[in-house]
Amino acid sequence: MGKFVQLVVDGLSTGSVYGALALAIVLVNQATGLINFAQGGMAVLAAYVTWWLTNHSVPLILAILISIALSFVFGAVVERWLMRRFERGDPDTAVVVTIGLLTLITGFCGWLWTYNNQQFPSLFPLRTVSFLGVSISIRSIGTTVVIVVAMILLQALFVRTKLGLALRAVAINPQSAAFSGLPVGRLLMVGWGLAAALGAVAAALVAPQLTLTPGMLDNALVYALAAVILGGLTSPVGVVVAAWIIGILENLAAVYVSFIGFDLKVAVPFILIFVVLIVRPQGLFGRKSVVRV
Amino acid sequence: MARGMTSPASPVWQRPWARWAGWLLLVVVLAVVPLVMTEFANETLARIGVYAVAVLGLNVVMGYAGQVSLGQIFFLGLGAYITAYGVQEEWNIVLVFVLACLIPAVVGLLVALAAARLGGLAIAMVTIALPIVGVPLAKRLSDFTGGSQGMSARFADAPEGSGLFDDQWVLYVVLIIGGIVFLLTRNLVRGKYGRAFAIVKGNENVASSMGISPYRYKVLAFTIASLIGGVSGFLYMAVIQYTSPETMSFGHSIQLVAAMVIGGAASIVGSLLGGAYYVLVPQLTNLVDPSLTALLQGALLLVVLFVLPGGLVSLPRALTRGRRRSRAGRGPVAPPTTPSTTTGSGTAAEEPETERQGHA
Repeated sequence: MGKFVQLVVDGLSTGSVYGALALAIVLVNQATGLINFAQGGMAVLAAYVTWWLTNHSVPLILAILISIALSFVFGAVVERWLMRRFERGDPDTAVVVTIGLLTLITGFCGWLWTYNNQQFPSLFPLRTVSFLGVSISIRSIGTTVVIVVAMILLQALFVRTKLGLALRAVAINPQSAAFSGLPVGRLLMVGWGLAAALGAVAAALVAPQLTLTPGMLDNALVYALAAVILGGLTSPVGVVVAAWIIGILENLAAVYVSFIGFDLKVAVPFILIFVVLIVRPQGLFGRKSVVRV
Repeated sequence: MARGMTSPASPVWQRPWARWAGWLLLVVVLAVVPLVMTEFANETLARIGVYAVAVLGLNVVMGYAGQVSLGQIFFLGLGAYITAYGVQEEWNIVLVFVLACLIPAVVGLLVALAAARLGGLAIAMVTIALPIVGVPLAKRLSDFTGGSQGMSARFADAPEGSGLFDDQWVLYVVLIIGGIVFLLTRNLVRGKYGRAFAIVKGNENVASSMGISPYRYKVLAFTIASLIGGVSGFLYMAVIQYTSPETMSFGHSIQLVAAMVIGGAASIVGSLLGGAYYVLVPQLTNLVDPSLTALLQGALLLVVLFVLPGGLVSLPRALTRGRRRSRAGRGPVAPPTTPSTTTGSGTAAEEPETERQGHA
């Protein structure tokens, strides 16, 4: 029983990381209708910046905040100077652009900081606490809490502020938004910036566990995409819930299903997808999209 | 598809007999080339052939049918593993070839049946899982795959009495099988199915209003792509004679997509150029600095998308268009539109073949 609870809590924490990345992908998709395959790569770049800053004796928490701010700028710059040109065109081309960006960023990190694993300092102590006879790692709880707080802040931004209202307007109908005087271009930049910043948070939280490599988040990206499919592209809440389900299920399957084990647990979300696709093609929480010709 | 006109005004290279002569010349050149070149050049050409076939498969699903697939390398790996296993068990090589085509096709069909239910980009999101799941799966099934060490198999040695060296024989195998696959695919995408793929790519709603089921054609395109991927896996074993889980890594899958886009999407010749890019450019960037390879490839991909969205295959067309524009700018008389468009499409249809000869 103790082991089970521990697995669930750990799954919740990795699920939160996938959820943050998935939320970033949904954010970008809502704003520009694209899937950003470089979302994980951009987050890794942010983690490298944090790591580089801590090596130059900047305190960890400050380094993370700086990298979040830089990520916001980087995301906005990528939208303005790279993606803008492809947004109106063929979505397939735009996807390939993001794949090119992923290759570029991975190559850049590998070239500048080598492909070797780097130790990333942890924000939380590596101890465990006992709670009702179950030992739970502080890091797992901390990761979950930080990401949930980040999501609540994001939700508040979208629902409570004028900026959030404008962002939602652009997401729903860019043309009408432009007609009512909203600076659509700048708002798209903000959307990409927010997504990149969220990715930076996720990367800083998961890097101590995975150790820092240029391909650190490739697997996490796959999980995040699985969560996006399961949750449905139109439902931010659904995506996060799906990410938690994936995180918990894969942890349980790795331990309790002997064939899957730790090496094949990446297959779990896709088995789940296959089942869900047969039953509900629009995702667990998504709406069926209706297209007018 | 712009075919050459047979009107007397058309240039000599567009006449049917000239086309046939061109094809004949190509076949003769391809038949002689392996005999006269160095071993290294033969091996490089054979590898280009392998990846050209893999890129061609990707082109069917991505270039022609417009469904982004990030899992093509998985089918190459699957075909390679089946070939290696079959050769180790000393099955008949024809049977091995058939299995290396059929099993990937069936797996592709099963994946597509589920993935194509998702609209748009979701296929990309599902297919990205294939290499990511494939690598640990290959390591796990070590009874069949040899685990992380991979497995090697030699089966394409030159037969006794042919008087050929091994590298020449392998290149002939690649040229013949690859040539047949290219020919069949060319016929496929120029016919009824190609037009159906194009309309599914262009607008799914229009397609279904015309009685073309987008779902069915997406599944078909993906299955054909998987089958061609299996063939490339067979050729991969013939040429490289060794496969490991690393063969189907995520990075290679992305490079394959990059190669297809850089060569030219929805283009048969673009697939050849893509195969050449996949093999040659890493060799070149490795000469510059091995740690820069990924960086340079990413940058190159983005530059191509910015400057030449149609890929390398559209380079001659872009050049002629640029030249014509500058000429029109100078002269006060604009060239008559109709003839210029026919010659324009004529060169576009003809250019590939000269390119192909240049690259073969």
